[in-house]
Amino acid sequence: MKENMKKIEEMMRLSISEVFEKMFFLFLEPPDDDEAGTYDMESSIRFDGSMRGEVRVLLSRDMAKAMVQNMLGLEEDKIIPQRVEDCAKEAVNMVCGYFLGRFDSTRVFTLSAPVFREQVGDLDLAEDACRLDFDSDGRKAGVIVAVD
Amino acid sequence: MSFNVLIVDDSNSMRAVVKKIISISGFKMDQCIEAGNGNEALKALAENWVDVIVSDINMPEMNGFELLQRLREDEFLRNIPVIIISTESSEQHVRDAFDLGVKGFIKKPFLPEEVRKILYEVIGVSDEGEYEEDRGDDEAFDF
Repeated sequence: MKENMKKIEEMMRLSISEVFEKMFFLFLEPPDDDEAGTYDMESSIRFDGSMRGEVRVLLSRDMAKAMVQNMLGLEEDKIIPQRVEDCAKEAVNMVCGYFLGRFDSTRVFTLSAPVFREQVGDLDLAEDACRLDFDSDGRKAGVIVAVD
Repeated sequence: MSFNVLIVDDSNSMRAVVKKIISISGFKMDQCIEAGNGNEALKALAENWVDVIVSDINMPEMNGFELLQRLREDEFLRNIPVIIISTESSEQHVRDAFDLGVKGFIKKPFLPEEVRKILYEVIGVSDEGEYEEDRGDDEAFDF
């Protein structure tokens, strides 16, 4: 499983980076300070197929705002909570779908409806899980993949 | 020549993005109708004629595959070209979608150019917005 988690981690790194670049015009880099993990919200989605588990995308408030602004071309004062939620859900949906396609495109995976939370849940990792943290001009994003 | 487009996606943001890409791609859109799932799409199609449908797959109530099946069963709707934009990327699902008659499949995340290119191929419109009589002219799709 350890070998598999390495593969999962690398594929997730590529997947989230590509989703953020293409859809939100944000370039994710490794965090260069100790502030990794200061997140304000998260969206999550479950997947089921040749493997089963959950993907959680963690966002700081300013990252979520930048995603909405960039994706929809909105001014800051036009950003409403509903847009933030919608964008965060779409982000985890794309990240998970793209990751699973990279992981094994020959298998069909079923995705649940994405769930949004205005706070971040437990960040302790189970054994078969990995977490990646990113920074984009001081804005924070992270992702957790947990395999059942 | 202007077009009516139906965008089917349960995400408001994604519908807005697709609508924006279509409008900045040089298409003359007459009407852009939005639906949050397959059921809403069928209701919209009962009242409006559209030239192309751009649909997601994973949606509540009625998903994209069910919508494609329903379109295929309807003699008035079966010839409307459908483009799928989805996070679904398994080879099986892409094959299933083409078997159900879709004209284009775009995987999320996507670049605006990918949407634009497939729309031009499917609708057959030149950069100037004129209808392309000769669908065999590959250069018509270059941009």
